[in-house]
Amino acid sequence: MDGVSFLRPPQTWSGAQIRFMTAGSVDDGKSTLIGRLLLDSQALMRDQAAAIGNGELDLAELTDGLEAERAQGITIDVAYRYFATPRASFIIADAPGHEQYTRNMVTAASVSDVAVIVIDAVRAEYGLKPQTRRHAAIASMMGLDIVVAVNKMDLVGWSQARFDAIRAAFEDVVQTLGARCIAFVPLSAKAGDNVVTRGGASWYNGPALVEVLESIPARTAHADYALRLPVQIVLRDGDKRLYAGRIESGSLKPGDKVAVGPAAAPATVAQVRIGGVRVPRADSGASVAIELNEDRDLGPGGVIADAGVRYTRRVIADLCWLDEAAWIPGRRYVLRQGALETLALIEKLRFVRDIATLEHVEANTIALNDIVSVVISARDPLLADLYAELPGSGAFVLFDPDTNQTAAAGMIREIPA
Amino acid sequence: MRLAYERDSDALTGAIEIAPVVDVTAARLDRLEAEAVYILRELTQFARPALMFSGGKDSAVLLHVALKAFAPAKPPFALLHIDTGHNFPEVIAFRDARARESGLELIVRGVEDSIRRGSVRLAGETASRNAAQATTLLEAQAEFDFDALIGGARRDEEKARAKERVFSHRDAFGAWRPRAQRPELWSLYNRRIAPGENMRVFPLSNWTEADIWAYILRERIELPSLYYAHQREVVRRDGLLFPVTPLTPAAEGEVVERLAVRFRTVGDITGTCPVESYAGSASDVLLETLSASVSERGATRMDDRANAAAMERRKLEGYF
Repeated sequence: MDGVSFLRPPQTWSGAQIRFMTAGSVDDGKSTLIGRLLLDSQALMRDQAAAIGNGELDLAELTDGLEAERAQGITIDVAYRYFATPRASFIIADAPGHEQYTRNMVTAASVSDVAVIVIDAVRAEYGLKPQTRRHAAIASMMGLDIVVAVNKMDLVGWSQARFDAIRAAFEDVVQTLGARCIAFVPLSAKAGDNVVTRGGASWYNGPALVEVLESIPARTAHADYALRLPVQIVLRDGDKRLYAGRIESGSLKPGDKVAVGPAAAPATVAQVRIGGVRVPRADSGASVAIELNEDRDLGPGGVIADAGVRYTRRVIADLCWLDEAAWIPGRRYVLRQGALETLALIEKLRFVRDIATLEHVEANTIALNDIVSVVISARDPLLADLYAELPGSGAFVLFDPDTNQTAAAGMIREIPA
Repeated sequence: MRLAYERDSDALTGAIEIAPVVDVTAARLDRLEAEAVYILRELTQFARPALMFSGGKDSAVLLHVALKAFAPAKPPFALLHIDTGHNFPEVIAFRDARARESGLELIVRGVEDSIRRGSVRLAGETASRNAAQATTLLEAQAEFDFDALIGGARRDEEKARAKERVFSHRDAFGAWRPRAQRPELWSLYNRRIAPGENMRVFPLSNWTEADIWAYILRERIELPSLYYAHQREVVRRDGLLFPVTPLTPAAEGEVVERLAVRFRTVGDITGTCPVESYAGSASDVLLETLSASVSERGATRMDDRANAAAMERRKLEGYF
């Protein structure tokens, strides 16, 4: 019975789930690489393979989702793909490579545990493309470790010299950025070498790309960090008030001493529930409802934290501007940190980060795709958490209060004295 | 646990060791559930949200997660079903029973009503009503002033859905604008809408078909019986099995067979095909899902087979 039969061995369905993003310039073969990952890990279904036509399998066509972009031959938005290997399951956030869509790469990075940057070994003959530097800079800014996939190695005869040159050039960039690059893999997405299965280079004895990714820890594993529980909603159980939200970092158990709200009012955890059921302990990533022994003034937008928590009304932050509409000095934006939404003002534009040269440039405007350093002040107290230390609460977004567009992604870098 | 397969098949003959393959206690289910609970709790920002509930497996999972998210309180939203009028009776019975147990208000609006009003005109009596649902949905939304509609759609289902946001902003016509989608950073969702606009919200975005079945197995979630193997009269057309029902009779000359089948997706009766299967329990279905060689919608949905961009076009017109 064609079309409904089950002809493949069962895929493994294991415990670990790893979320990664991919970045590459338009012609680096990123879509082909994703197609290869799906094909060789058997995530590709027969009807999906059939839909891409006759002749040679065009792996790139598997991932170019929308009609509009098929017409243009470019990827215009972030797309999510799912596949599994015997050791782990994966979510790919596929970010486009061309310049005007930097905001999509930032979006993809914000939901990923690691970044895979694709470099075309052929086109890198005379050095790295500006796009590659830009991708590395964004991944670094977003706190992601980097895995470099040096693609099209078959077209340069698996030249070790070319691979080493690319590696050296990228390591320079990494050093300048203070980024972390955890692996370089020479591969051919088209031929399928070193993507899921090893092959190609006699001089390379390292792991295939998928083997590297299988060993990445989830970025949400922050149980040993300081406690931050932003409250989304207060639930009632008879007379009891249950503060419900997701633990962004740290862990909670009955009897824990916590600090409630900007006043850091001390309180004790009476009980912790997940899904309405009492649990002995909950870790970061868990959506919980907790009861406190004391009555505290705490509602949606408030935070339950450890005793060391600090609040501030001013932060120094990096912004990636995401809106078509440029920044208007003096304008109030809505700032969201955790469950809190408040008004905020960009008090001062310190400098623009030139992503190609990695230099600081003076400027007085902020436009789409700009990455800038600013001083922001807020109407209500913010958690004084640095993105590098507590990414769950050191991140914020700005919304335009009139158009409702998402205006910027923000990362707290310093707390002004 | 061992499972015997009696069918002819290249790879799946004889007994299969399932234990090392599937681990439903996996931390990933906790991560996915916590994420869905977080998203559902974000809905309290809206004045009048509704959860799309058809009685299908994804909406059954969604309702289950919603009840956990707000326990012991009731979720602050109504259930909404856009009824094509071409239903499997056991799904409707399940829908009503589950809604009653949940204590949530169930609102049903039919494509039939839209046809009567003249806002939907179909090519024929047995034409698929899936696309027409978008019109009825927008009418129901206007009638009740729903400002957020929560759906069980998943990104792994289909290419256009792979690019969907968790909070998907829709204009006053319910239209999805893929090029104007708001960037969605971390889980700091943008819930802001202007008057007349609305939000579609997809808490199960990151779940796969296998995740859904593993969760059904772990949480012992009840489903309509047609999701499990049963004997049914079908005819073969174009590589698919078509159910033979009063609404979808066999054509002249077609051979009606009685086969063991189950449904992977359940929608309008004129547009949903079962697959051959002996999977009688959630664990059997999970095993089959992990070894499937044809995608969920590809095996079962005629409307998506018609054109590679069928879903994208429906979404542009206000479909989920």
